[in-house]
This record gives sequence, structure tokens and C-alpha cells, in this order.
Amino acid sequence: MTAVQPTAMMSGRYQRAFTIAVIFLVGSWHLVGAGGQLLHNRLDYSSFGFQGAMWLVIALAITAGSVLALRETPSWRSAWAVAVITLAASTAAAAASPASQMLAVNWAWGTAGWAGLLVLLRRRFIELAWFLTAEAAATLSVQMWDGLHRTDLAGFLAVLAWSTGAQVAVAAGVRALDAAADQAAAAVRSEHAARERAATAEIIQAARHARWLALQETAAPLVAELAAGTADPGDAQVRVRCAVQAARLRRLLAEGDEVPGSLVHELYASADVAERRGVAVEIETAGLLPQVPRPARRVITDAAIAILTDARTHARITLAAVAAGIAVSFVADTGAGIQLPAAGEGVTIQQQQDGGMFWAEARWSSR
Amino acid sequence: MEQQVTVAIIEDHPVVTEGVTSWIRSDPRQRVRLVHTARDLTGLRSAAQPSADVVILDLELGGELVTTEIPKLVAAGYRVVAFSGHSDPSIVIETLDNGAHGYVSKEEGRDHLVEAVLAAAADRPYVTRSQARAMLADQQPTRPVLSQQEQQALLLWFQGMSKASVGRRMSISENTVRQYISRARAKYAATGRTAASKDALLARAIEDGVLKPGEIVQYKSFASGAADRSGLGPPGR
Repeated sequence: MTAVQPTAMMSGRYQRAFTIAVIFLVGSWHLVGAGGQLLHNRLDYSSFGFQGAMWLVIALAITAGSVLALRETPSWRSAWAVAVITLAASTAAAAASPASQMLAVNWAWGTAGWAGLLVLLRRRFIELAWFLTAEAAATLSVQMWDGLHRTDLAGFLAVLAWSTGAQVAVAAGVRALDAAADQAAAAVRSEHAARERAATAEIIQAARHARWLALQETAAPLVAELAAGTADPGDAQVRVRCAVQAARLRRLLAEGDEVPGSLVHELYASADVAERRGVAVEIETAGLLPQVPRPARRVITDAAIAILTDARTHARITLAAVAAGIAVSFVADTGAGIQLPAAGEGVTIQQQQDGGMFWAEARWSSR
Repeated sequence: MEQQVTVAIIEDHPVVTEGVTSWIRSDPRQRVRLVHTARDLTGLRSAAQPSADVVILDLELGGELVTTEIPKLVAAGYRVVAFSGHSDPSIVIETLDNGAHGYVSKEEGRDHLVEAVLAAAADRPYVTRSQARAMLADQQPTRPVLSQQEQQALLLWFQGMSKASVGRRMSISENTVRQYISRARAKYAATGRTAASKDALLARAIEDGVLKPGEIVQYKSFASGAADRSGLGPPGR
């Protein structure tokens, strides 16, 4: 959990920086490049007011596109809404330009490509290709409508090559940088995971060693007493001691697959306390257990502690994989019923009292 | 007096053999008689006739797993109850697939071993909690399809409830709980490799009304080795 977030954030941060760079590029182009051209040729247009209105429409589309792009990769609906509005405005501006001076005074056509690039940047490459093709086709249509000359065509192709080339290059560059950021994040992630694994192994090793040492203090003397004949297996007290030590030995043997933070590990820790009171606790698992989120784990271990505190001589805890979740059950000789802590966090608790035996099951489901 | 069931113990740790012997002796009705103990299988292999009804087999002899020896024992006419410290579900399932009647973990021995031996001698299912655990955890493609009721009964039994408590929990009789668990076990006998012991268990399950013959045919399709059970299916199916 902790291993993924920082690295995901890291690659996210880089991608955001690239987006901001593209927004800056597109905004500057529209403001300085297109705006400058519009003002410079203001006397040549039949209606400067209409051209200005179209410039404003595209400016608004760029603003909306920037907000969308900064949030996340825009959905195809919102991305294409912005792209189509831009395309329509630029085509209208081109159509309203004086026929013979199209190439010189048409400010709109580069800027529309950039605005489209902004929203389509992180969508499939083919979408950007379609958009740029549509834009080129629209501009060419306007020119043909106006009566295309050979010189106009050459000029058109030159401008097309320049603007489209630049736009495709920026899109490809951002993609390459995104991929590099992802790779860097993945490298950090795997390094982080390796470090965590090593730390985990160390903790497990230390816990195992500590438990082994504890066994030397408790199990070894018992075995010695049994061998010397000073402890009588016929004595109920001795049998309880044997049962407790056997449970501890079993836990030591079963420890191999535990990781800190897992539910099994936490239940083992809860059982430790009861064992010191002389309660024999056995813990068994069945099936491949899912990861349970921390709040749900807390509900389950709280129930475990409540039950283990009241257990007299023995308790059995089982964890079983069930459809889309886990069933953790407790059977203990508590004598009377137990007030269990509240369920919640996706955990439901059921209980049943049969004579001196108490059964409870905490079920967590990911659904 | 009822006929005593004869048993052989194959176990390489003398202290365990001693323990098992004392459990057999402490049975108030003396239903089981110990006829043979050995640290390996050579004695049983060389005998011309089965020298005991049931073999209590430690799955690890001299540091080696002997699950693959089970089919030979079964073919020689023994019923096998595995008694082992290996509670890994895959080993338990393999043991059953090889034709063992039951599996008893070393922790369960005192409470379940004698009963498991008696059930094996009668070809009746006997499911310990560790065996229920293995059946619940089983993810093999050849595993039988268990009904929801059978699964729930197995789960509650594995969790440590008595069968009477399982019945109360599921609002059914204790006898029905036994039926569900036995049926789940019998379904396992209908899958995987062929063994005389599995056929006997199935035949007995049908006789006892635990399983209907039609239910076996249904599960035969899950059998990996195209098991031949023509003697068991109802005619015409």
C-alpha cells in the first residue's frame, strides 16, 4: 500500500509538469502568435469583430481544455467537444478571411491545431491524427472554395508541414517523457518493494528468534520436568501447560508464511496474551486469504481480543477464504455469552452460545 | 460382542506408535485390535494376505513422503488412514486421491484416530477438521462441486463447532450435518484416480443413502483419468 502511492504520485507529478508546459506553449501561441497576427492584419478583414469573436471562442476553448487536461486525461466526450468547437471556430475564421490573402491573414489555423493537441495529448495517438487531418482538410476546403491557385497550394503545404510537424513532435515528446517518468517510478517502486521485503524478513526473523528464546524458557523446562518425572502427565495442570507449549511450538513452525500487518499476524499477537494466561490457542487457515484493509482488521482483532480474554482453557481461531472475502471464526470455552465490540467497516459478526462453548464468526467482504 | 477391527501402525517414531497404541487400548469398547507395528512398509509388502483391516500410515517415513505408496496398499486390500504432521491441504487432497479413507493430523489423533479407523473398516466417510480444511481450500480443477449447504457444514465443522452446534447454526438436525459432510467426502471419492477403496466408499455411501447413484455419474465427468466405475453406476447410464 505504502509502496505504491509515493511512486504513483511521482510519475503523476512529472506528467503534470509536462501538461503545464504544453498549456504554456499553446496559450502563448494563441496570445502572441495568433493574437499578434490578428491585430497586425486587422484592416484586411471584412469584419474584424467576427475574427475577434472567433479568437475569443478559441481562447475560451483553450482555457476549458487546460482545466480538463490538468485534472486527468479528458474523456473522449469532453476532449472532442473542445476539439470540435476549436475546429469550427477556426474554419469560420478562415472562411471569413479575404479570399486572395488567406495564407497571409489567417491567424486561426495553427492555433486550432495546438488547442486540439492540448486535449488529445494523452488520448490515443490516432485521435490526434484524425483531428489534425480534419483541420487540414477544413482549411484546404475553404481555400478551394475561394479558388485555389498553384502558389496558394504550395504555401498551404509549407504551412501545413510546419505546424502539423511541430504539433506531432510535441505530442510524441510528451509521450516519451511520460513513459520515462513511468519507468523511473517503476524502478523506484521495485527498489522500495525489495527494501520492504528485506525489512519484513528481518522483522519475521527477529520475532521468530524472540519466540524461540521464549520457548527455551518455557517449553524446555517442561520437557525436562516430564523427562525427570517431576511433572506428571496425569495431572490436569501439567496437561494444560503441555497444550499451551504445543500451541506455541505449532505457531513457531507455522510462521513461515506470515508478514507483518497481515490479519493472521495480528491474530497471533492477540493470542499471545491469552496464552500467557494458560489458554491453549490454535490458529488455522484454509485457502488463499485476501488482504483485509486496516479498519476491518481492527474490528476483527477487537472481537478476537474480547473472546480470548474470556476463554478459560482453549480457543480455536480459523481464517477461511470465502466468496469475495474472509470468514474469521472463534470457538472458545468462555462459559457465558460475550458482549462483542460493534461490527462495521464491512465486517459482519454472528455469534452462538452452546452450553459452555461460544462461537463467533466475523465475515469481511470486499463487495 | 462385535467383531474387532484389526489395525497395523506404520510409523517411524516409536513414541508416536506408543501414543497410538495407548489410544487404541483406552477405547472403552475395545473395538480395535493392534496386530502389527513397523517402522516401514516392507513387512506389509511381503505379506501374501492383508494382515490387518486398516493401516494407520505416517505419511513421512525416514524423511520421505510415502503418499505414492498408498495405491499399492489399497490394491493389496488394506484400508488406509493417514496420520501425519503434514497438514498442507495439497498433501491431504493427494492422500485422499491416492485412495486413503481418511486423514488425521497428529494434533487430532487422540480424539479422532480410533473413530477414523472404525469408519475406514466400514468404508464409511470420516472427515476430520484438517480434512475439512483441505477440502475447503482445494482449488484443483478436478475438485467436485459441493453444494452451498455442504460447504457451509464443512466450514462450520472446520471452524471448531461440534456437529450439534453446526446443526443449530444451520437449523438442521445433527444427522443432516453428518449427511452433508459425508456427501462432500463421498463426492471426492468419485473424482480423480481410480481406487478400490474409493469405489467401496462410494458403494457404501449409496447403500447408506448419503449419495444417490445419479450424483456419481454427474461427478464422473470431473474425473481426470476416465475412471471406470461401470460396476457402480445404475444400469443404462
